[in-house]
Amino acid sequence: MIELQKIYKWHNNGNNRVFLLKDINLTVEEGAFISIMGPSGSGKSTLLNIIGMLDGPSEGSYRFLGQDVFNIKEKQRSQLYKENIGFVFQAYHLIDELTVYENIETPLLYQNIKSAERQAIVADMLDRFQIVGKKDLFPAQLSGGQQQLVGIARALVAKPKLLLADEPTGNLNSKQGEEIMQLFKQINEEDGVTIIQVTHSEKNAAYGKRIIELLDGRIEKK
Amino acid sequence: MIKNYFKMAWRNLVKHKFISFINLFGLTVGLTCCLLITVYILHETSYDKYNTNASRIYRVTRSFNNKDGAVTLRLGTVAPPFGPLLQNYFPDIQKMTRLLENGKTPVRYEEKIFNEDKLFFADENLVDIFNVAVTKGNPHRALLDPYTGMVTEEIAKKYFGDQDPMNKMIRINNQFNLKITGVYKAFPSTAHIHPEIMVSFNTLKDTAIYGQKSLETNFGNNSFFTYLLLPENYPYQNIIAKFPAFLDDRVHFPGAPANFKPSLRTTLGLQKLTDIHLRSHLDTEAEENGDIMRVYIFGVIALIILLIACINYMNLSTARSTLRAKEIGIRKVAGATRQELIAQFLSESVLISCMSMLLAFGCVALVIPWLNTLSGLTLSLSILLKWQIIVVILLVPFIVGLVSGVYPALFMSAFQPVKTLKGLFRAGGRSISFRQALVVVQFTISIVLIITTAIVFQQLGYMQKASLGYNKDHIVVLPYNIATTTQYESLRNDLLANANIRNVGRSSRIPTGRLLDSQNAALIEADSLQPINTELKFLAGDYDFIPTYDIQMAAGRNYSRDFGTDTSSYVVNEATVQTLGWGTPEKAIGKELSYGGMRGKVVGVMQNFHFESMHQKIVPMVLVLPRLQQAGFFHSISIKFSGANTTEALQAIEKAWKKNVPETPYEFDFLDNRFQKQYESEQRQGSLFTIFACIAIFIACLGLLGLSSFAITQRIKEIGIRKVLGAGAGSIVMLLSKDFLKLVVIAAVIAFPVAWYAMHQWLADFAYRISISWWIFIAAGIIAATVALLTVSIQAIKAAMANPVKSLRTE
Repeated sequence: MIELQKIYKWHNNGNNRVFLLKDINLTVEEGAFISIMGPSGSGKSTLLNIIGMLDGPSEGSYRFLGQDVFNIKEKQRSQLYKENIGFVFQAYHLIDELTVYENIETPLLYQNIKSAERQAIVADMLDRFQIVGKKDLFPAQLSGGQQQLVGIARALVAKPKLLLADEPTGNLNSKQGEEIMQLFKQINEEDGVTIIQVTHSEKNAAYGKRIIELLDGRIEKK
Repeated sequence: MIKNYFKMAWRNLVKHKFISFINLFGLTVGLTCCLLITVYILHETSYDKYNTNASRIYRVTRSFNNKDGAVTLRLGTVAPPFGPLLQNYFPDIQKMTRLLENGKTPVRYEEKIFNEDKLFFADENLVDIFNVAVTKGNPHRALLDPYTGMVTEEIAKKYFGDQDPMNKMIRINNQFNLKITGVYKAFPSTAHIHPEIMVSFNTLKDTAIYGQKSLETNFGNNSFFTYLLLPENYPYQNIIAKFPAFLDDRVHFPGAPANFKPSLRTTLGLQKLTDIHLRSHLDTEAEENGDIMRVYIFGVIALIILLIACINYMNLSTARSTLRAKEIGIRKVAGATRQELIAQFLSESVLISCMSMLLAFGCVALVIPWLNTLSGLTLSLSILLKWQIIVVILLVPFIVGLVSGVYPALFMSAFQPVKTLKGLFRAGGRSISFRQALVVVQFTISIVLIITTAIVFQQLGYMQKASLGYNKDHIVVLPYNIATTTQYESLRNDLLANANIRNVGRSSRIPTGRLLDSQNAALIEADSLQPINTELKFLAGDYDFIPTYDIQMAAGRNYSRDFGTDTSSYVVNEATVQTLGWGTPEKAIGKELSYGGMRGKVVGVMQNFHFESMHQKIVPMVLVLPRLQQAGFFHSISIKFSGANTTEALQAIEKAWKKNVPETPYEFDFLDNRFQKQYESEQRQGSLFTIFACIAIFIACLGLLGLSSFAITQRIKEIGIRKVLGAGAGSIVMLLSKDFLKLVVIAAVIAFPVAWYAMHQWLADFAYRISISWWIFIAAGIIAATVALLTVSIQAIKAAMANPVKSLRTE
């Protein structure tokens, strides 16, 4: 599903070239559950953003579902992204002005799905995450765990093949974190969604089937 | 999708109430100005277009040249014989009509007696050329027979109440009885002329009133409005081109040599009816006209204010974009394309401008009555109810929304999601400089308007306070007509018997009016007449005119009853002495002059005084003392009273008037009122400019408020660090305000030459004017800078007082 070859990412700081990622080679099969670990500044998030097509590498190639991501047209890449990738953030990143229902609905709006169909899909999601009673509340009215639940529901609403999570439990207490991890495991096993998560916690990393250690922009060992 | 955009827009509007208020308010003010000015422009450009024949009606004009060919007088009225002669000479003229304004005329019905200003003699063709809504009587016969005429519904009501006005008799000028044969609806406010009583033209054939012969031969009395009806799309320039030939062929001035060519000294012209209100500025007009320049200026001002308001929206929206960076990031992560985000932001700005448009309509409805009193216009919102205009008005919010929304939309939709979501977001430096440029534009406009306003008022003050050369205070003026002549002496004696009355004098015109009449003048050298090339204006005045107005003599004496020969003497002003090259006033005394064919010696020279408004140069004039039988020259009585006891003086005047001239209604005016009226148009201009300047600077400040709050948020960390390092609040306010002050200085540098040029042009209209002083520019700059500083300080002080721990912690 994902093939990264010789990915480099740097930025120029005066005369110095500061490397964020160096020579990353990574293959991810469909259905995988990968945890990326590493100290602050090791390039975890940068790697995740490149995989999520939010950022481009300075050098190297990236194939996603057989397509050369950075050599296709912007429109095609956007399509590829919209249909296949969902994002979950540490800070939830819900839109404050929208209700739970509307937040979950947002990705569907950008895929030109008809209103009636959207309603059905969102209702399904609310049901599945057991937040039907909260659908008309605004993010500020929810606890952190509930907000992250909405965040995940939103990431999954468009039925992506790949779920990318950047420290999804970083702002949660351990009980809430555990529930989210259980959910991830369930999504991975029952729905076959590929998951790549960045985490600091050994315990959460253990939910993954495979752990990648990053240090100074390099993959340490597999 | 659109529904979602609007939902989001609405929630944002509600959430950020302050910014939304500023945005809505700014746009509403801008659109209100725009709508008002649109109403004004539509009103001004719609004059006379209600006539079915509007495009086919032309007015005949006449101008006079001196011997050098320079035009000395331009009239919107011509002599009575021209109408029929033209119709006879040019077969393409389908119809012709003439109107003669009779000036202030006493009209009586039974016990009711009023002075009527709008009494005209009009012929029966009028209703065929113009649209006149005749509600009673036969429109084609009502103006046919002598001593018959039509009145407006208002006049009918005023004199006859609820009685049927038809066939009622009213007495005109205590001279003849008029039978009412028709009633019509008053001409619309967008007509250039508004007759309220129309007396049949044939009445003028009565020798006692005007005389058939005068109508056919008097080329000197140019007071007849003459209109022609030509075929559709007629090349009327062809007629104008043939006017000189026509004049030489058909016109013979009485007393002129047989080979004299009238076309050398006089010119006829044609004006389109629809051009009269905005493009005609002749020395005689039916009513005060508008000015096409003013229409253009207001159009530009409308667009400028709207532009300032749009700039504001851009500024505030981009300034607020940091707040929305996260939303934009999330939407992009959720799959939104840039186009979709642009569409979203544009629909927000369109929504806001639609709301503003609605509010603006409300404001306009509220403001119009007030504006009408301020400007003396009769504007109405209903002028907008035409489909072409409604379509444009519906489009405006979309255009305004797009114009003001497109920059913020492009700017915000380009945000990188990775950065915005990581909290690394900083709007780039380029966008700041763009917004700074916008602020400079706003302040440039504001400063130009401040300077403009100041100079308009300075000139106004100068004109009102300048030494006039006569004393305008405590003078009452009353109308005088030939019927008053017999009672005049006893009226004057009664008045002077009262200790509060200082002087009573008669004259053909009074100061504050125009000085348009002139007669042929010639110098007498060795018994031969040497014609004078420059025109000497003519003013008929009696013995008491000079003392009533406190006009000072430069040499010689005033006319005096003690000199029986004074009817063949002349009093001139200093300008005449200079023009005729007599050297000093003293040397002028005793010089011989022929004026209007009458020879006489100069006995006195008046010091120059401003008979006309400051728009006009002081012209050479001759004060003529008419002989007794020429008392018809007089049109006004001026009464000088003591300022100590105004009420008593006025009572005495009224009493004496009612006793001596009972058949003329007592209607007085203070000279001071007339004096103020001369500058009414400047006064209005000044008030409107003040309003526009205030609005412009107000909206500009709203924008500045937005920009400064944005810039300060950007620098919050810097402020925090400086405070930790020991900077005081004062130095931080300085630091933040300095940048904005720079913008105002740049704006001032751009504004100064623009304002100077504009006002230089404006002042050129006045013969007597102030010189533009530099301190006005400095003052305008300081005002703008102060207002800007105050605006910025509100934000800067808040930032400087904030606890640095807070701002540093967020990093």
